[in-house]
Amino acid sequence: MKPGEEVVVPVSLSMDPYAGPWNKEQAAHLLRRTIFGPTFQQITSAVSAGMNATVAQILTIPVLDPPLTVSANDGIAPIGSTWVNSVYPASNPGASENSRRESLAAWAMIRINQQSLSIREKMCLFWQNHFAAEFTFDSRATYNYHKLINTHALGNFKQFVKDIAIDPCMLVFLNGATNNVFSPNENFARELLELYTVGKGPQIAPGDYTTFKEEDVLAGAKIMTGWRIQDFNSTTVNNTSSFFHAQIHDTTTKNLSEHFGNATVANADENEYANFIDIIFQQPAVATFICRKIYRYFVNYDLTPTVEDTIVAVLAETFINSNYEILPVVEQLLKSDHFYDIALRGTIIKNPIEYMFSIFNATHSVPNYSLGINYQLYFNAYALCTTIGMSYFQPPSVGGWTAYYQAPSFTRLWANSSYIKLRFDFASWVTLAGGISVGTSKWGVNHLAFLNGLSNPSSAPDVINDIVTVFCPKGLSATNILTLKYILTNGLPDFEWTIQYNDYAVDPNNTTVSEPVKTRVALVLDRLFKLPEFQTI
Amino acid sequence: MKRRDFVKNMSLSSLTIPFVFNNFKYEAIANDLFFVPKMAEDRVLILIRLNGGNDGLNTVIPLDQYENLLIQRPNIIAPESSILTLNPAVGLHPVMTGMKNMFEDGKLSIIQNVGYPEQNRSHFRSMDIWTSGMMDISATRGWLGRSMDNAYPNFPDDYPNTDYPDPFAISMGYEVSATCQGLMANFSHTVTNPFDSVNLGTASGLNDGTYYGSHMEYLSTIIAQTNAYGAQVNDAANAGSTLSSLYDNNNPLAVQLRYIAQMISGGLKTKVYILNINGFDTHDSQVASTSTITGKHADLLKTLSDAIAAFQNDLMLLGLESRVAGMTFSEFGRQIASNASLGTDHGDAAPLFLFGGCSNTSIYGANPTITNEIESQAGIPMAIDFRDIYASVLKDWFLVDPTEIQTMFEHSITYHNVLGACNLSVAETEKDKNTSLVYPNPAGNNATLRVQTNDEWTKITLYDLQGRQIKTCFDGVLHPQMHHIPIDLSDLAVGNYRIQIWKKSGNESIQIQKVK
Repeated sequence: MKPGEEVVVPVSLSMDPYAGPWNKEQAAHLLRRTIFGPTFQQITSAVSAGMNATVAQILTIPVLDPPLTVSANDGIAPIGSTWVNSVYPASNPGASENSRRESLAAWAMIRINQQSLSIREKMCLFWQNHFAAEFTFDSRATYNYHKLINTHALGNFKQFVKDIAIDPCMLVFLNGATNNVFSPNENFARELLELYTVGKGPQIAPGDYTTFKEEDVLAGAKIMTGWRIQDFNSTTVNNTSSFFHAQIHDTTTKNLSEHFGNATVANADENEYANFIDIIFQQPAVATFICRKIYRYFVNYDLTPTVEDTIVAVLAETFINSNYEILPVVEQLLKSDHFYDIALRGTIIKNPIEYMFSIFNATHSVPNYSLGINYQLYFNAYALCTTIGMSYFQPPSVGGWTAYYQAPSFTRLWANSSYIKLRFDFASWVTLAGGISVGTSKWGVNHLAFLNGLSNPSSAPDVINDIVTVFCPKGLSATNILTLKYILTNGLPDFEWTIQYNDYAVDPNNTTVSEPVKTRVALVLDRLFKLPEFQTI
Repeated sequence: MKRRDFVKNMSLSSLTIPFVFNNFKYEAIANDLFFVPKMAEDRVLILIRLNGGNDGLNTVIPLDQYENLLIQRPNIIAPESSILTLNPAVGLHPVMTGMKNMFEDGKLSIIQNVGYPEQNRSHFRSMDIWTSGMMDISATRGWLGRSMDNAYPNFPDDYPNTDYPDPFAISMGYEVSATCQGLMANFSHTVTNPFDSVNLGTASGLNDGTYYGSHMEYLSTIIAQTNAYGAQVNDAANAGSTLSSLYDNNNPLAVQLRYIAQMISGGLKTKVYILNINGFDTHDSQVASTSTITGKHADLLKTLSDAIAAFQNDLMLLGLESRVAGMTFSEFGRQIASNASLGTDHGDAAPLFLFGGCSNTSIYGANPTITNEIESQAGIPMAIDFRDIYASVLKDWFLVDPTEIQTMFEHSITYHNVLGACNLSVAETEKDKNTSLVYPNPAGNNATLRVQTNDEWTKITLYDLQGRQIKTCFDGVLHPQMHHIPIDLSDLAVGNYRIQIWKKSGNESIQIQKVK
């Protein structure tokens, strides 16, 4: 939104369950916001299943498979098995760590590309943005961190924060591991308040940010003293861990400000941090702060006072009433009348991962080579996402990606002029030119699988309509639809497409008839992926 | 840990496997063989796709086969007397007066019976074969794309840049051209109207006042800004001119060709323009029921002929004839026998047109033979492989090394002399590089003077053989290198002239013949 620009605000400010029409438009909206790149079948299945059953399915979190070893450089874990509980080799542990880190990077892309109909990956990315720790120097710890995120993706937020507070990866990231009674380090305590829980309100007095004060940061740092990490890069112990070292813990009684009811936190050694977090969670600002973020991530960037007073307030109330369970909040939002308001379609510009996987996933494009080749292809995809502006495991700062908080641009930050060019280059690459490569193995759009998954592939108008359903949150102009159909039919009458498709359908393994079909779809998608309409969800 | 030490910013290309490119580019080739890099660099190829499968027998009509044509296609054939004769054996469809005039002016060539072995009669498959220039089903690149990959490896990374600010190819319309598909990207940039400041062709951008509409406006703007090629195209179109009065605003192909004349004259360095004209799939009503010289096909041929003739006229007036060549292509010809619906069905080979100031005027290849009895569904057999025409265009027009060209095709190439009229002959090429020469000679409206200078004042003057000064072609200081200076002969009567080169390092005089 430009400064001063007036926009049509949502008509519905109701958090009551949505009871309007349930067609492809609504189902596709739900899926675009909760998974990466829904397929046409997923959309039509969601229409048949109805909203409640679809949301229930989306809110189940499947088991997370660990990353696998694909390089002999690991030195310990055999190829094809996971390394997450393996020691490091005495010789060349650096090469081992590099191979594990590449495996992790690929693993993140695999999870997204091979998602089930579950919100898991969208939630995990949300929490990666929220608790924005980056790769640490032992990939087992990095893995554990992301495993923890997965475990709590829709779980209890209070417990989540407690577990994160003493997680080895976080202890490294925000210096908790060197925070001790002799030299307190405020880093984690500050972010715990400012970014992870109550958030930072307006500064109303020196050192007073409405929701917390500088003295709370100081007290929090003392409360958190004593935690240590161990066995990073160990050649003998098969995992990292944190532990409490009482001798370096500050045992004084800490006083919190009036924002926390002037609470005192007595020494409780290794349980003290949890007591502190319990006190923090008594402040309703925690619920408001998190629900705002959830709203921005799943609905729209524009937190108007009305949205704050109605939507966010209702979600926050649900959050508090459920003792900070995340699932009921997300469920309420995804079933709300507000969520399906037409004015909220297409309000989010895809982040690079959404861009890439809205292409791959919606077109059934999954690399199908050996384990090693697949991992390399996924690693290349990871690197490409980095190039176009988003690196999983490496948010740009402790505050996460700017697109999720930086007013007024928000998600427009994903689409600056150089990123747009790279997106377009990528689109051409995976549609027309084979795609991401490792040797002769290529990962591009699976045009034929995509086409065959549509409702009526032999009909050119139906193909284009289905493509619009899958990829465009608010449809396409009549001109654009005609243009796409023109490309599909190569400017010929529609029946020529029907003949060509039918020739292919009866003889699908004959490349002489399949390749031309594939080429037409590739040209349509290449153009579509460069339209403004495709850039949003 | 440093944030970015894990994955450095990788460009798209760096992620692919190392790819062995042949180690030379157009420029290098041209330098070696012709000493005229600027000439090839400045040359433009126009491709016009006749989409749907053009009925060649109704376009270029073999007059010596007329009797049997009358038997095979009595309901669609044009009356013999109406056909525009090019020579006693070959005529053009009656509506093609523009192209007939071009033929007589020496600016049109016809290549007969062009196709490929084992014709595939699927529009889609056959078009893929024609655009890739490969029979191999696994071919993914276009014939021009392969050549451009060699010349500009790593495209699109770091393009456009200061050396190459303009798109290498422009596809008029909404679809990138498969002829220009390269390894990692398509070299063609789509343009619907070069005067639109946003000519990526993707602008939607209607802000309906919603959050989404606001995003659309933003994205359209950023896409336009990103589209550096768009601005170049726009600037060139605005800087360019058009001088012909022959363009018909109701002829969409003519309008697009006029845009192209404006882009070229405005200085755009684009090498290839691709246009498309639909409707050649004339299964029915190819001719009107009332007259076999009107109807759908006649309209299409008139559109084509008028547009090309207007464009050629414009190029002549703009002094660009020797820089621009054109070629038509279609996925197949049609069957010899017409059907009962006043139409023709998918066939095999068909003629192809080449045009421009440098075409070797000729009808290349023999007429097809039509017998009084033919097999059901018979088409015209292929006599000339279209891939050889492509190869010949690369060789004659873009001056690509034949050894290099052979690597781009799967078959053993036979070259045809189709677009070499403006090239130096081998003998001329071998001439002492310190000697000036003018080419082509004889010349039509445009010639080029090749001259080697030191860092010196140079004046080039044109005289008739009576010694009267006609005009000064150049007057100024030239840097020490080989120059290629255009000599405009369009305002001269047919005859012999003398070009006088005045320079400190030695004056020279060359005779040139102007022909029609």
